[in-house]
Formats: sequence, C-alpha cells, structure tokens
Amino acid sequence: MSILSTLAFVLIVITAMVILIFRDWRINTLALAVQYLAAFALVTLSWPLGMAVVKVITGWMATAAIALTCLRQYPTETATEPNASMFFRGLSGLLVIMVIFVISPSLQENLFPSIDLVIVQGGLMMIGMALMQLGSSAEPYLTIISLLSLMGGFEVIHAGLERSTLLTGLLVIVNLGLALVGVFFIIKSGDKEKQTLIEEEVK
Amino acid sequence: MSLSMPLLWVVLPFVVAAASFAFLNKRILGIVITAITAFGLSLLAILFPEDLTLSIGPVQLVFTESLAILGRQITIAYEILPFISFIFAVTGLWSLNSGTPSIPEIFRPISLMITALLTAAMGVEPFLYAALFIQAAVLVSVPILSPVTKKTNPGILRYLTLQTLALPLILLAGWLLTGVETLPPDSPKVAQTTIVLGLGFALWLGIFPFHTWVPMVGEDSQPAIMIYLMTLFPTTILTFSLNFFDRYTFLRTSENLYIILGTMGALMVIFGGVWTMFQDNLKRAFGFAALAETGFSLLALSLLPQGGARWMLMLFPVRALGFWLWGYALTQIEKYADSLTISSVIGLARRYPLLSSGLILAQLSIAGLPILAAFPIKINLLTAVAGTNQTIGTLAFIGNLGLFLFTLRLAANLVSPKNKDVSHRWSISEKRFEYIPLLIVILLLVILGLFPHTIFAKITDTLTAFTQLQ
Repeated sequence: MSILSTLAFVLIVITAMVILIFRDWRINTLALAVQYLAAFALVTLSWPLGMAVVKVITGWMATAAIALTCLRQYPTETATEPNASMFFRGLSGLLVIMVIFVISPSLQENLFPSIDLVIVQGGLMMIGMALMQLGSSAEPYLTIISLLSLMGGFEVIHAGLERSTLLTGLLVIVNLGLALVGVFFIIKSGDKEKQTLIEEEVK
Repeated sequence: MSLSMPLLWVVLPFVVAAASFAFLNKRILGIVITAITAFGLSLLAILFPEDLTLSIGPVQLVFTESLAILGRQITIAYEILPFISFIFAVTGLWSLNSGTPSIPEIFRPISLMITALLTAAMGVEPFLYAALFIQAAVLVSVPILSPVTKKTNPGILRYLTLQTLALPLILLAGWLLTGVETLPPDSPKVAQTTIVLGLGFALWLGIFPFHTWVPMVGEDSQPAIMIYLMTLFPTTILTFSLNFFDRYTFLRTSENLYIILGTMGALMVIFGGVWTMFQDNLKRAFGFAALAETGFSLLALSLLPQGGARWMLMLFPVRALGFWLWGYALTQIEKYADSLTISSVIGLARRYPLLSSGLILAQLSIAGLPILAAFPIKINLLTAVAGTNQTIGTLAFIGNLGLFLFTLRLAANLVSPKNKDVSHRWSISEKRFEYIPLLIVILLLVILGLFPHTIFAKITDTLTAFTQLQ
C-alpha cells in the first residue's frame, strides 16, 4: 500500500464523515470535491492517468453545478441544528467505518481478489457512508450528494474490474445527469422558499 | 446508401425531441410532431423488411443492425423490432393524450427521449451496459414526474435513489456473471451472483420491499405521466431480463429461481391487490395496481420453461391499453372533480357517464374481467401457475380480486347521488373529443378480449431474439 493510496483512503474517510455529519452546503460540496480527488487517486491504481482523470473532472463538474446553484439559491443561509443530531450521525458514521473495516478483507478475498484491499475499502467506505446519509436525510441536495458519492465509490471498485471507454462515457452522463437533477431540485426548493417569503411579506 | 438501424430508432427520436424543445409553447404542433415520430417509427418497426432494405422510389436504403460507438456497439436486431414498435406506439398514444394543461409541455420531448434511451438499452453490446441507458431514462423522467411548480415529494427522491442503487448492482452482476458459467451450480459464487442480480432487478421493478416509491409518486404526480412511466419502464426491464435467462444456462435451469420468482410474483399480486382495495385516492390505487401487474409479469417469468415469456409479452399490449384508458379517464376526470379521491368523485357518473365507464372498464380490463383484453391471458396464466403450485396460484387469484373489489367500490360511489336529498338526473356532459378516444380504446379492449391472438400477437415474435427461450 503506497503512501498516496493510504492518504487517499484517509481523505475518503474524513470527507465521507464530514458529508454525513454536517448539513451546510458549503462544507458538503467542498468535502465532495476533495472526495473526488481522493477517489481519483485510487482509480489511478487501476487505470492509466489519462482515463482516470475523467472521473475527477466529471466529479468536480457535478460538484460545481450543485455548489453554484446552492450559492444562487441560498447565498446567506447557514444550517443550524442541535449538536445531538450531529453527534448521533457521527456515531452512526463510526459504526459504518467499523463495519467496513471488518467486512472488506473477506469481501476482497472472495469477490474481488484482483483488486487491492485499499481500493475495496475506499470504494465501500464511500458507498456505506452514502447509504447511511440516504437513510438519514430527505433533503434533495443531500440525497443527490449522497448518490454522487455512492456512484463514486462504485466507480472506484469497478475501475479495477473493467476498463471500457463506452462505460466511462456513460457513467459520465449518469453522474452529470444526477448533478443536473440535483440542480433542478435545489432550484425548485429555493424558488418555493423565496415565494413563501414574498407571500409572507405581502401579508 | 447504407444506414444503421440505431440511427432510426435511437438517434432520430433524440434529434426530434431536442428540436421539439424549441417550440414547447406550441402545444398542437408538439403533439403532432411527437405522435408522427412515435407512430411512424412504430409502424416502420413492424413493417420493416427482413432483408433490411428499404426502397423509396429509385432510392434504395440498405440498413445495418449495428452502430459503433466508443469501441462498442448498439445493435437493433430485426428480431427485437416488434418490441420496439410496441414502446414507440405506447409513446405515440400517450402523446395524443398530452394536450391537457395539467401535463407539462416537456412531457412530449422527454417521452421521446425516454423511448430512445430504452431502445438503446435493448440493443447495447455488452448488454449489461443497458443499465446505464435505463438510469439515463430514469434521470430524464424526473422533471416530468416532479414539475418545477410543485414541491419535491419524498417519493421522487426515493424513486431516484432506489433506481440509482440498481445500477451498480446490475453492473457488478455483469462482471460476476463472466466467470460463473463455468462453475458448478452449487458454487457459492453462483448464489452470490444471483442475489446481486436479483437485488438489482427488485430495485428496478419496485418489488417488495423496494416498492414504497410507487404509490407515493403515483399520488403526487400527474396520473398520465406516472401511468406512462409505469407502462414503459417495467415492460422494458422485464424484456431486458430475458437476456439473462437466454444467455446463462444456470439461471435458465435453476428450479429454485423459478420458485422464488413465483413466490415474489404472488406476494406482489396479493400485496398490490389488497392495498388497492383499501385506497381512497385513485392515483395511489393505480400505484398499487401497477405493483400487482408487476407481480403477474413475475408469475409469467416463473413459468419460463412452460412458455411463460409468451404470456408475459402478450400481457404488455393489453396492459398498456388498459393503463392508457385508466390514465386518460383519470386525466379527464381530474378536470371536473375537486380531487382524485373517492369522496370527491361521488355522483360523477351522473354527469360524466362515459368518462366514469371508461375508468371502470380500464380497471376491470386490467383485473381480467371476461370479454375484456386481459382475461384470456390472465386466466391461462393463473391456471398454469395453479397447476405448478396451488398455493401460489390461490394467492395470486385472491390478490387479483383486490382490484375487482376496488372497482366495485369506486363504481358504487360514482353512481350514487352526491347529495341524497337532491335528485340528480343523468346526463352526458362530456364533449365529443373527450369521449371518442375513450370509446375507440374500449372497443379495442373488447376485440382483444374476444380475439386475443389477432392484433397484438406479433409482439411475441420478440422471443425470436432469445434463441434459448422459444
């Protein structure tokens, strides 16, 4: 396990925890962008740099689309919530980390023997945390961020299994499509909130 | 001149859809363009010559089945054309129903895009990449299910999440399948692969316990759109699933798999049927009825060695017509009722008897009432299921009664007077353009019920694409 891949794995764990714990879009989009960089580092272990870079560019494009839309829709809004909920999500995140550390060696041995353990662990960490997030939030933008993270985790593992230009292209379309759907949801919710504010002012 | 078939059924509808975005506010023009494109391509698919050569006057167009794209291929085989014809016909039919103001203008171009993507899914090589096209179609469907003017429903998020979760599982199953063919049937890898694949399909089809989004989205979205999507997606996914049975002997010969499919099918039918029976919201009731119909398709799949694929394919057009009538009637009734709940439609049949009859007949046709379209297929299917496993057959039969009972409850409310003290005279208040399409489809449903092997039997030719399943 090289230093680079270890660093990438650590970054994935930290960013996945950050996305799970915090609800502020600024923190989450930044963490997602860093997570894509770490995922890219793991993909380079299986793919040539030229092809792996597609993943990070797509991820950053998707993140930028979501971040810029959030900036437009909620420029001043900051998420405030009780510390207890953040603590609870932190604990559930730790549980996911533990589960993944326990199951990944046997999963790698039985299902993906041709892939490095760190790749399997990194990919599963992204998938596991995203699933936990999907189960704990019904916010449209958080759902999209989790789905992007989940797809990222899958792509990290799948890159070690298959290399196809068409598949890469189609996954780019799916990721950008997910980001666009996210933008659509954010615009909808933002417009609705603005409309409610205007209606309240009129009253 | 040489062309490839995917250019016609994948690229062309996409180009037309993209062009249609330019005149979204011209409703009639949009309907005409979408309907002509969809029906034209449907007709072309059904009449396409076997030698793949079209002669238009002095011009001879020679078609090839494949289109190379990024090192792989999209192949529209001649054998799959009946199914492609069917999905384009469904889109054409729904585009005719898209003039109602409650249906967003983007429905028409997006429906063409979805059809093109699902066609590509049926033809992409390696066939597992179809999952990505289906996912793209799901993503494209979100704006029509959840229009900008409405708040995002949690059901939509659940729909998007569960459909997206299916994608990695199907792709992973595809990779696992490559090594499984050579393993003995009792190898743990075979079971692992089957589980991953089964989970992927369960998520796609909304099989219990991944079904929760169906009634939620059904309740929240415009009924025509939900019904259109519930016609197109499960149909394509189920037909796509035949690829697996055709290519992998261990799946085709696994008796346990057929038992699981039968049990899940019966559970879906009974679950969907019983829940339909107790619904008060007509749109939500459709969601549960659609789940029961997925159950019938699974029951047909469980009889694959006895020719179940033929029944499954034959159910598609009659279901599509029944669903269309259901959606059409609901869309029209929505204009006249305060909401689509049973309490809001009390006495509606006294003012709108034709629309009300259309709604009742659509439900009865789906439920399999004799002389209506689904009856000959469902009775054969249920008999065969009961012959194989009596418990599953009985459960499926009981489940199917749910929709019947719901329809009776709805009919009783539709005809009873809203205010018991005031006498309401019966009158036909529908306009001619509202009830003519309804009458045509009802007539078609009766003809199909009386002569089941006439109009739509050609869809079973799709099976020729799956050489091991004939």
